Amino acid sequence: MKKTIIVFVIAALVLATMGLWILCTQNSFKPVDILQFGIIILVTGFAILIGIRRLASAKRGEPTEDELSKKIMQKTAAWSYYASLYLWVAMIFVKDHFKWDTEVILGSGIIGMAVIFFVSWTVIGIRGIKND
Amino acid sequence: MTNRIKELRARHNLTQDELARKVNVRRETIVFLEQNKYNPSLRLAHDIAGVFSMTIEEVFLMD
Repeated sequence: MKKTIIVFVIAALVLATMGLWILCTQNSFKPVDILQFGIIILVTGFAILIGIRRLASAKRGEPTEDELSKKIMQKTAAWSYYASLYLWVAMIFVKDHFKWDTEVILGSGIIGMAVIFFVSWTVIGIRGIKND
Repeated sequence: MTNRIKELRARHNLTQDELARKVNVRRETIVFLEQNKYNPSLRLAHDIAGVFSMTIEEVFLMD
């Protein structure tokens, strides 16, 4: 249950930070900013969905985490780590060939990592884990 | 590896929820097991076989 509460707290913090960002921005938003907001909301919504699923499991008297969910999370972490390495190599390429601000590159990289994690978790969750 | 969980669960009139609670896992894990998308740990295989009062070899079959 503790981990479920932590998921909700982190989601709330991310949304609050994004709200602050929107409130403190003086200039109008560029399409890239709006895309970043959309991805942040998508990833946060995904975290909230996981939290709600865990609460539903707890309500049914089942554990919020078990060996399968832990294995899925471990495999997701491994996959997304490798994919993120390639993402950062791509970001270095982008930095050398396009005139992007460092903040934009870092922000895109971090959001890209979150998207990679989300996609890996979904794919592994659908395919399942076979040891053989 | 395949298993007979779905067949045995029906024979014992157990729902996926009930079996999940008996072996202390989430219902999704039982769904994945029945679809042969997950090979359980030895501990979980032992617990599931125990619910049906069978041995692991009788529930989980090697291809």
